[in-house]
Amino acid sequence: MNFETIVGIEIHVEMKTKSKMFSLAPISFGLTPNTEVVPMDMAFPGTMPRVNKEAVRNAIRVSNALHMSIDQEIWFDRKNYFYSDLPKGYQITQQARPIGSEGYLVINIDGKEKKIGIERLHMEEDTCMQHHFSDYTLLDYNRAGIPLIEIVSKPEIRSGEEARKYVEKIREIVTFSNVSDGKMEEGSLRCDVNVSIRPYGSDKFGTKVEIKNLNSIANVEKAIDFEAKRQSELLLLGKEVEQETRRFDEAKKETVLMRKKTDAVDYKYFTEPNIPPIRLSDEFVKDAIDTCPELYDQKLERFLNVYGLNEVDAKIILTSVDMADYYDEAAKFTKLYQPLANFIISDVNGYLNKNTISIKEFNVEPKFISELVELLQSKKINSSQGKQIFEKLVKENKSPLIIQKEVGAVLINDESEIHKLVLEVLEANPTLRDDFKAGKTRAQGFVMGQIMKKRGGKVNPGIANKIILEELKK
Amino acid sequence: MNYLDLTIKEIHEALLEGKTNPVELTKEALKRAKENEDNAFEMIIEEDALKKAEELSKLPVPKDNYLFGIPYIAKDNFSTKGYETTASSNILNGYVPLFDATVIKLLNEAGAILIAKSTLDELAMGGTGTSGHKGITYNPWDKSHTRLVGGSSCGSAAAVSDAIVPFALGSDTGDSVRKPASYAGLVGFKPTWGLVSRFGLFPFAPSLDHVAYFTRSVFDSALATELLSKHDDNDSTSSYKERPNYLDLNSSVEGKKIAVINGIYKTIQDKKVIEDFDKNIEFLKKNGAKVDFIDVDTDLLKAIYPSYIVISCAEATSNDANLDGIKFGPNYGGKTYSEVMFNARTKGFSALIKRRFVIGSYALMRENQEEVFLRAQRARHLIVNTFNKIFETYDAVYCPAAPNIAPLINKSSENINEDFMIADNWLAIGNFGGYPSITLPIGLENDMPFGANLMCKPFDEVNLFNIALKIEEGTGLKNLNYPAYAKKEGK
Repeated sequence: MNFETIVGIEIHVEMKTKSKMFSLAPISFGLTPNTEVVPMDMAFPGTMPRVNKEAVRNAIRVSNALHMSIDQEIWFDRKNYFYSDLPKGYQITQQARPIGSEGYLVINIDGKEKKIGIERLHMEEDTCMQHHFSDYTLLDYNRAGIPLIEIVSKPEIRSGEEARKYVEKIREIVTFSNVSDGKMEEGSLRCDVNVSIRPYGSDKFGTKVEIKNLNSIANVEKAIDFEAKRQSELLLLGKEVEQETRRFDEAKKETVLMRKKTDAVDYKYFTEPNIPPIRLSDEFVKDAIDTCPELYDQKLERFLNVYGLNEVDAKIILTSVDMADYYDEAAKFTKLYQPLANFIISDVNGYLNKNTISIKEFNVEPKFISELVELLQSKKINSSQGKQIFEKLVKENKSPLIIQKEVGAVLINDESEIHKLVLEVLEANPTLRDDFKAGKTRAQGFVMGQIMKKRGGKVNPGIANKIILEELKK
Repeated sequence: MNYLDLTIKEIHEALLEGKTNPVELTKEALKRAKENEDNAFEMIIEEDALKKAEELSKLPVPKDNYLFGIPYIAKDNFSTKGYETTASSNILNGYVPLFDATVIKLLNEAGAILIAKSTLDELAMGGTGTSGHKGITYNPWDKSHTRLVGGSSCGSAAAVSDAIVPFALGSDTGDSVRKPASYAGLVGFKPTWGLVSRFGLFPFAPSLDHVAYFTRSVFDSALATELLSKHDDNDSTSSYKERPNYLDLNSSVEGKKIAVINGIYKTIQDKKVIEDFDKNIEFLKKNGAKVDFIDVDTDLLKAIYPSYIVISCAEATSNDANLDGIKFGPNYGGKTYSEVMFNARTKGFSALIKRRFVIGSYALMRENQEEVFLRAQRARHLIVNTFNKIFETYDAVYCPAAPNIAPLINKSSENINEDFMIADNWLAIGNFGGYPSITLPIGLENDMPFGANLMCKPFDEVNLFNIALKIEEGTGLKNLNYPAYAKKEGK
């Protein structure tokens, strides 16, 4: 019997706003624990929530990118439960009226487009971070109150691969819109996956299993594939799938039981009484959408049409929004778009990989990369001089034109001087002209090699080639 | 001459004339606070109060900054930076806030001097003034300590009525200032919801919670409102409406239409209360007011108390979920986080509080929400719609504030019948609709005061104060306080 896999995904995206969802505490990730905290974040009595406008703007942007309808009246609810990471004993969220509803995104499966429906997108606040030790737990409230967007898909995903592409697409939207870092490994993008299976043709859903703690997009795919297989094996053995929460064990590459689900928790939702409904003006919504940073698809179109890059290279540069930004900045200083792309993809990326740093940590100004590309393309330097300058550039971050002078990376462009060198070689090797005329083209290369040897490789090869050909034909 | 027996306005005039100064006032207030035997205080703030008074005494008294140099008291559910604030609950023992409530900040900036934090019913839940962790707070009018002062703002009521200070902050979720005001012979005023910032007030039920205050004259309530009714970005429910001048008052009722609700009026069984109330009505009529006795669906009036209990308990169970022993307050340890919470909450809350949490949780449970919580919300809306309609025709609603004088401590739960429940709980209408509402004394019975309450539509404070000033003129009970009364009656 063959089963169809049914997957629904809940994604939590941590926003990178300047301050928290409901307090003025600053956010700058990765600081000393409990240093970015105001009394509200620790639920001190009498503190009250105030809604972060930037977070609302972000939620509108992502809703719009996901083709959702946007509720122009913002309502918040309380989700009540006790847990050590939940300072107030409730989380402020949007249960009854999410800001975004009924949207979709398109993924590409085997060259075909597939629409995945999205049920809702809402804003809420993060809990504090727990660090568990053998007999105690430490709490870091820096994370408490960081704005989150939760995106809930419809159960329209049918495989691990589709799930992976869905998450990749969400990640792409939230990173390109500058809403989030979208790093699964650091927890700024978190996925909970619901997996069930059913016989093909059935319109009923099977018992669903929730998988948590997925820390990479690759693991989303692996976990779903494993889980679907596990469930079908159970059913084929005549056993039942139980409603439970599992986690993905990366080492074993399988899902393991965390806890059985009894009746779903009753969160006793009710409207947050300390935040009156906020009516968003048409202008506010329109402005949020109009000023949204360029998304992937728009960027790709621009890279293909405006810069005229080939698709493969454009996509390599667009693998990260930071790389794309770097390219955009560099492209302001040259029109040699494709050579610029080539240089960034090979030389810059090579350097980053070698040093395991990101483009954000690359401290060379984009315009210097453009200058270097211009130097190389104009043949004013050769490729080994280019490498020499680049090595210095990454250390000193100063204009390649200056570095060029400092290291004396200048080619001999003077035709009469080159002519003299060519004649010297031909005189020393009198058979070369005849060899060439007899069809031995390597004579040409030999002359080039000799004159380069004489001048330490600093002869402009373009000019030299022209002169060598002229002389050999004589 | 003891200036603390006077109203704020009068003390301000004495300060302007140099007859007294902040140090003298503060010393006297501290002395009276320490001598008080009604169990009104969680903490007396002596050193800092005197220091501030000394600084203020060096400054010229700014004219019309009425609260400059005036000693005051705050209920112990207002966050006060550096001063332990427990809301009279063991679960907050040792909790020292890091910030001042907005109203505390405004008062301090104006030069008012905080001399004490006052007792309350635990976490402001209760109407008797008997359930705080320090025990019963007594009514200063009954030196035999047999009567309640009422709650939950019991300590603040006792302090103003015993002339320790002329002004005290309270909070009012159902009637927690306006009811004790009736039992203690005070003016108790609750402004429109959203007019005065709640930032720093420990929440009980935010949709019903109000900052409210005790004074001994209507004008003093108005001048406090002038100071405290500022928009505050820290409170998202704070109104952006432009505030009028609350002191631009004429105390006229000429042409004003006042409604007395039959269904409330007729449930008052105390004859003296009705007699003095009627007298006051006649006075208002004589001064040009039109007073109508009107009917309201009795079922709605009966629904006030159950709706109030359901909504307030539901919100409270959520608001007080932060009190888990992890971040502040006593931590009794435990092997797991749930044990830590369980221990802190088991030991920290009294049985009464736990009962309210159980009611609140029950009301919010998925299977009960429709039938209990949402039904209470619908009843609340019906009641508010009814009164909004009344306010389309009438300038104010006016009724006796409570069924009788302050009850005896051990008999407070007797006489529970439907009529009593309406008479005893109708003030919550003011919280349901966020209406400005003021209680002021209208008479005494066996040397115990009682009051009436006036409500207007939201943001209609100026109108409310004008009518209240006329009521005050009619009763002649302005600046009623126990020491002055005792002196006059030769007690």
